[in-house]
Amino acid sequence: MPRKNIIELIGINKSYQNYKALNDLDLKIPKGKIFGLLGPNGAGKTTLIRILNQILIPDTGKVLFNGEILSQKNIINIGYLPEERGLYRKMKIGEQAIYLARLKGLSKKEAKEKLDYWFDKFEISHWWNKKIEDLSKGMAQKIQFIVTILHEPDLLILDEPFSGLDPVNSKLIKKEIIELKKKKTTIILSTHDMNSVEEICDEAAIIHNSNKILEGKVADLKAKFQNNEWKIRYKGSNMAFSNAIWGGWKLINHDSKDDINTATIKLNESLSMNDFLKGIIDKISIIEVSENIPTMQDVFLKATTNE
Amino acid sequence: MNNIGLIIKREYSTRVKKKSFIIMSILGPLLIVGFLAFTIYLNKPNNSSYEILVVDEAQLFEGKLRNNKKYHLEWSPEEKSYEQVQEIFKSNDELNLLLYLPSNLIQTNSMTAKCLYKTIPSTSAQKHLTSIINEAIELYRIDKIGIDEEKYRSIKTKVNLDVIDIENAENKNIQRKAYVGYVFAFIIYIFIFMYAVQVMKGVIEEKTNRIVEVIISSVKSFHLMMGKIIGIGLVGLTQFIIWITVISSLTIGILFVNFPEKYSAENQIQQNEIFENSNLLANNNDKIDQLTQFVLYQIDWGNMILFFGIYFIGGYLIYGSLMAAIGSAVNEETDTQQFMIPLTIPLIFSLTMIPQVIDNPSSNIAFWLSEIPFTSPLIMMVRIAMGIGEGGVELWEIILSIFLLIITFILCTFISGKIYKTGILLYGKKPSYRDIYKWIKT
Repeated sequence: MPRKNIIELIGINKSYQNYKALNDLDLKIPKGKIFGLLGPNGAGKTTLIRILNQILIPDTGKVLFNGEILSQKNIINIGYLPEERGLYRKMKIGEQAIYLARLKGLSKKEAKEKLDYWFDKFEISHWWNKKIEDLSKGMAQKIQFIVTILHEPDLLILDEPFSGLDPVNSKLIKKEIIELKKKKTTIILSTHDMNSVEEICDEAAIIHNSNKILEGKVADLKAKFQNNEWKIRYKGSNMAFSNAIWGGWKLINHDSKDDINTATIKLNESLSMNDFLKGIIDKISIIEVSENIPTMQDVFLKATTNE
Repeated sequence: MNNIGLIIKREYSTRVKKKSFIIMSILGPLLIVGFLAFTIYLNKPNNSSYEILVVDEAQLFEGKLRNNKKYHLEWSPEEKSYEQVQEIFKSNDELNLLLYLPSNLIQTNSMTAKCLYKTIPSTSAQKHLTSIINEAIELYRIDKIGIDEEKYRSIKTKVNLDVIDIENAENKNIQRKAYVGYVFAFIIYIFIFMYAVQVMKGVIEEKTNRIVEVIISSVKSFHLMMGKIIGIGLVGLTQFIIWITVISSLTIGILFVNFPEKYSAENQIQQNEIFENSNLLANNNDKIDQLTQFVLYQIDWGNMILFFGIYFIGGYLIYGSLMAAIGSAVNEETDTQQFMIPLTIPLIFSLTMIPQVIDNPSSNIAFWLSEIPFTSPLIMMVRIAMGIGEGGVELWEIILSIFLLIITFILCTFISGKIYKTGILLYGKKPSYRDIYKWIKT
């Protein structure tokens, strides 16, 4: 039976001279999924990513790659797009793409073939002999993305892949990420952009102050932070709405526009929405009822500020 | 290991293709040859003559001071005082020097004469004047005592001292050979500096444009560092080989064009003998001849180039790895100063110590400086130029210094590797020496 997780981190500790970057961290990253690695600045995400890339060695703990201890031979299985992008400014783009691909173990011929494919696909073949210093930041980022995925790694670690990209290119990269997922690539997406987490991530973990504080499917995480908040749009008297039922709920917000009212309410556990509706249904005319589902933004803020 | 090859290849090929490398390859040798030619030209005694006005206060030396065309002496009028003669000297543009021989000049053996000038006379002119004054005083005295001048001249001798190694009579002129070592030491100095700094700059470049993180996710940081050091070192060696080729073909070319008959192969042995027997009183042209002869046949170029290779590589690897560590620790080039100073001091110190080493190549200081790895690349080159084996630098001294060089290199790369590994990933504050010490310890 194939293993479910491509990466398993067990009891990872990592300290710098006078500060602990990761504290006894356990984390499983499921195969073939897009995994959001979230957390405020300085939480320990970069340290975690560097450990996965074997740039840093944990003080204690184990990293398993497909069930085996992560080692140098896995370098070819991993692709890494660091947050701080960098390429040699004065080297020709084609040349440096081949160089970086060869460092990942591709032969010169393989590298050239694959690069031709991607350069064609992104319609940038005419950049081959240009230098990075002649390109805009967004253009350079495209190149770097190609270089990262070129050797078709099983695990792709993308640190803020959309930062600095215009909406068109951002969409292009997003599309490619989803394509890669279809090809069974596991993708770790480290980002502060919660919209894209919601859009493309299957699972996510939040790291805060060197500890993992949340982990799970994106939908489950959101469900966990659901707090029985509802939005009701109705026509009628707001006095009637307010006085229909006594107790068991709280009005959080109320808006009127034209003759339509919008109320945001929070129900206590003792009261269900059905009961609430039963109580008000004769007094007003309901247009819409919906539950307020928290966004990942809400989840993130709640988890990291006052959990 | 395959990856380190890729890194070396990249470091090498991007640098060799650069315009600056090609320019340096052509310009460097031209500058060196030009500089040498210029020094020879400057050292050539100028043929200008001096018109010298003599104030002989006691009227003792007429006829006794040697007079010739080059240093033409003219007696000032007897009745004029020293001060008046000075006015004459000032007003007459044709007069170059005023030689004042006070009346007390003969009283003891260490009196002072004066030479007033408008433009300062050459050292050789000053020497000439001193010697003719001495001679004149001696002539005056033998006259007084009643010794025949001919007898005096017959006992007057001028000895040349040939300093010869008892074990190896060929080993003459070692001080002169040392200057070839000086040139080599200087080239080593320039090369170590130039290329070690390139290592540092390369590391800073990779760190500041953040590509380093991509690369060390593929290769070990130590491999990246070593690949860079080796690649750039090979660029240095390539540069040196180009220089040697260009310089030697330029020199040989110039010699052949100027003196085709002298430097043909059949003439070499004969020329060598002439050189050995040539005396020191040869004229200027002969001196230049001697120099070219000396350069062509007296220096063991094979050894010089071999040991240049060894000491350049050794010295470069030590300084290069330390520079890599510096580059990794800082965030921009302007931060490097503080860390560079401890590295530049031993190099500059060696350079300034070379004259002392040449003066006394078997002194303690020469021995130690040629063994200590931070100074040995420069100092040992000078000693090797002065001859290897009996009388010169002993073979065991060379072997020991190379051994120490290798040990130090291994130690330095080990330490630098540790600094590099941590430094390369840290941005922000410039680290202190204490921080770096902590990195080494972890």
